[in-house]
Amino acid sequence: MRLWKRAGAWLEATLGRSRMESEMDAELRFHLEARVADLVCGGMKREEAQRRAQMEFGSLEQAKEECRDVRGVNFIDSLVQDVRYGLRMLRKSPGFTCVAVLTLALGIGANTVVFGVVNALLLRPLPVERPSELVFVENNHYGAGQSFPNYQDLRDRNRTFAGLAGYRESPMELETNAGAERIWGYLATGNYFAVLGVKAAVGRFFEQSDDRHPGASPYAVLSYSAWQTRFAADPSIVGKTIRINRLPYTVLGVAPKDFHGTELLYWPEVWVPMMMEPQIERQNLWLDNRNTWNTWVIGRLQPNVSSRQAEADLNGIATELARRYPLEDEALQFKLAKPGLVGDLLGDPARAFALGVLALGGLVLLAACTNLASLLMARATDRQRELAIRLAIGAGGGRVMRQILTETLVLSLAGGGAGFALAECVSQALNRLRGPIDFPFQYSANPDWRVFLFALVVSIITGGLFGAAPAWRASTAKPDSVIKQASGSSRGSHLALQDALVVAQVALCSVLVCACLLSLRGLRQALKMNLGFEPQQVSVVAFELGLAGYSEEQGQAFQERALQATEQLPGVRSASFSNSFPLSIDQSHTDMIFPANETEIRSNERVSVNAYQVSPQFFATMGTKLLAGRDFNWHDGAKAPQVAIVNVAFGKAVLHTDNSVGKRFRNGPGGPAVEVVGVVEDGKYESLTESRAPAVFWPVLQQYNSTTTLEVRSARPATEMVGEMRRAISRLDPELPVYGAGSLREMLGFAYFPTRAAAIALSAFGVLAIILAATGIHGLVAYTVSRRTHEIGIRMTLGARRTQVLRLVLTRTAALLALGSVFGAILVVAMGKVMATIVYEVEPRDPLVMTGVLLTMALLGLSASWSPARRATRVDPIVALRYE
Amino acid sequence: MDKQLELLQGTLDMLILKAISLGPLHGYGILLRIQQISKDRLEIQQGSLYPALYRLEDQGWIGSEWGESDNKRKAKYYHLTAAGKRRLQTEAEKWNRMAEVIEGILHARPEEV
Repeated sequence: MRLWKRAGAWLEATLGRSRMESEMDAELRFHLEARVADLVCGGMKREEAQRRAQMEFGSLEQAKEECRDVRGVNFIDSLVQDVRYGLRMLRKSPGFTCVAVLTLALGIGANTVVFGVVNALLLRPLPVERPSELVFVENNHYGAGQSFPNYQDLRDRNRTFAGLAGYRESPMELETNAGAERIWGYLATGNYFAVLGVKAAVGRFFEQSDDRHPGASPYAVLSYSAWQTRFAADPSIVGKTIRINRLPYTVLGVAPKDFHGTELLYWPEVWVPMMMEPQIERQNLWLDNRNTWNTWVIGRLQPNVSSRQAEADLNGIATELARRYPLEDEALQFKLAKPGLVGDLLGDPARAFALGVLALGGLVLLAACTNLASLLMARATDRQRELAIRLAIGAGGGRVMRQILTETLVLSLAGGGAGFALAECVSQALNRLRGPIDFPFQYSANPDWRVFLFALVVSIITGGLFGAAPAWRASTAKPDSVIKQASGSSRGSHLALQDALVVAQVALCSVLVCACLLSLRGLRQALKMNLGFEPQQVSVVAFELGLAGYSEEQGQAFQERALQATEQLPGVRSASFSNSFPLSIDQSHTDMIFPANETEIRSNERVSVNAYQVSPQFFATMGTKLLAGRDFNWHDGAKAPQVAIVNVAFGKAVLHTDNSVGKRFRNGPGGPAVEVVGVVEDGKYESLTESRAPAVFWPVLQQYNSTTTLEVRSARPATEMVGEMRRAISRLDPELPVYGAGSLREMLGFAYFPTRAAAIALSAFGVLAIILAATGIHGLVAYTVSRRTHEIGIRMTLGARRTQVLRLVLTRTAALLALGSVFGAILVVAMGKVMATIVYEVEPRDPLVMTGVLLTMALLGLSASWSPARRATRVDPIVALRYE
Repeated sequence: MDKQLELLQGTLDMLILKAISLGPLHGYGILLRIQQISKDRLEIQQGSLYPALYRLEDQGWIGSEWGESDNKRKAKYYHLTAAGKRRLQTEAEKWNRMAEVIEGILHARPEEV
């Protein structure tokens, strides 16, 4: 109550300021006049009485001020005054203001960008109903994917979920007025939209009743952007028939604008009921197969059910599944993860990476803070007289402190504003950034209120951080000593504090430079790494025959014709085709392979093997070394004995031998014996960080796959080559959409993305840190020189040589640099773990990097102190001495 | 004229409350009444009177309204509120107890200790 009353009085006082002022005036005037009248009555002369009354009363202004204080008007008043005064001071030194705002803009901007990405990936909830209830279901066998029959069992038998939906990303061929195009969509169970709680923007979504029987529900839901761009926002789209994979589908509705499914990095264009899988993928590949772990499962927990309870519930079902289907589900365990990044598959590394970068971004900001703090310290020293005078004429220490803090706050808010604007630009650029890969890899790092709040809070904290030391020092200054001392060469504790700031800055800078060099070295290593193939001079083009309606025989014939046409292109050294290639996004696995001399697969010996279907000449085209045995040839057909080529790791892991050629294995229980005819070198198949993964290559004539990538090795530029390959294919089938066309290097963009992103982010940080440290050191040296001009002048008159003056100025800087670098090195070692999350396969204590850091810091110190040091040697003693 | 006593810290508020408990007064009137009752033996800083009045009003112990003075001038008159009456009572009691205790101490004789 009291608080309310006070607030009311304060508000009234603030709003009714002028009224209060005039009333106060009238009241005090009345007092004085009444007193004068009394004194005149007592026989005093009027003038004398006035003087007397005034004297008795004391300072009228002070009384008024105290009255205002009581009413709480003064706080706002003095704040406005402080801001106004601060702005005036900043306007008076535009150089300082510019440098400060720019420094802050860079520091805060960099952090806002990083936070924007963290926000987009980790913090921002999915645009669905009550997103906190959603969980992603993983298992201990294959991580993110579940088999569809297992999903059905989970859906029907759980007691803890309000609903469990399954979905699967799927390439589709969509026909529009612009022709057929390969796009990406989702196969989703009928309850998908209901479980997520999303409402259609136009029309309706499909429901459980639309998803009962295989092939019976040719319905489609379009994404908002697909509706806008592919169908020109056709207002009567609902009910129209569109063609997907050359079959008709009825459009039921359009999803809301900001809904892109539940995977943050995958923006589908179409949703089709799961039961259409046989039509979409041209064969029923997995709806009834308990051992194809293809379905992603997201669930909504019942209210008041914890994810631990739900996990226990699912694992109860898992135990039963394992008993009933030991071959597929033995020892199966489920685990719940946060949805958005394919569970923990992408989530874990993304989180670690983002937080690591955020930590380094914090260091950049800290470096900016120390920079500004030392700038302000220097300024505060020069302003000492002004502040001392203000203290002397009665401003309290607290008032002066508040004044300086207000000033720095104004500064940091200005910098924060500029930084936010900068971050917005960079985020826009980041949003437009697309990998040169055939995948709707997209995200929105648009700053929302969280990012804005972040920038604001960071600005305020920053202002407090770099303003605190100067404000404190100013408020405790002894006015008399400062004024008496005039502008003499005072060298006291404040220089020590400034030195400490420079040391801190150099240390931070060396950490960031080290991170930058490490990431560049990591990138270099990644680029130089032996991938098990030679991506230079290889061009690829992909097409999907199944979606285009080709049967197996037709498809096989088409693949061969396309290969022949490609081989005849000028400049082609070697050509081949395959279903996919290593390090592309599309990777297949099998874990059903076991040596032929064993009768059945032992579950504890299951090995996950990367599998490819490749044509003859694939290894020659890709530049993979054949270590033993032979390549496939066109006789390895359906009627010939089953053969395969494996890599070295396969021999060790599956066949337990160093010489696999001639050894036999089975692909699944009951399968025919397959003979290994060749061994190729190990390579990288899924990520650059994996080590020695086993791989098996099947001949295309024995295992048909409608997904086709043509590979060509040629010295001609990839752009030329790709164009010719496209034309060759369209001569064979003008309707067939071609995708994923480009140089093999480009296609590996996804695999290199983390390393490249780290290198870009950390290089930016490194450069920022160097700029900050350079200005910081330059500022310190310049300041020292200007403060010591007098002293240098005397020394020179007494015969000091230039080198001696130089030494005088630089010894200190060098010592600070060395000290800072040592601290930096200690920090780097201490931060080894954080570094490892961002930059992999690089040892933080790498001697080359350490040398690089030291060299950079030495160069930095030298160049930053060069011009002020030269200025010191050119001091004219006469001018210097007269100046004082 | 006797030498005036300086006001003890914190007693001004109590004196103001007492002065206007006898009837509404304007600021200058309060000054005069205190001087009159104290027979000019107390020195009151005129400058500190008004901040004290504003503070008491802010705390809700006194109220104010504009009225006309004896010589037909506009003046701000202060009056005691109900809370102010209670406040004055407790303050006065406290003061009396304190004075008693201090007097007792000052009149202590050796044999009483």
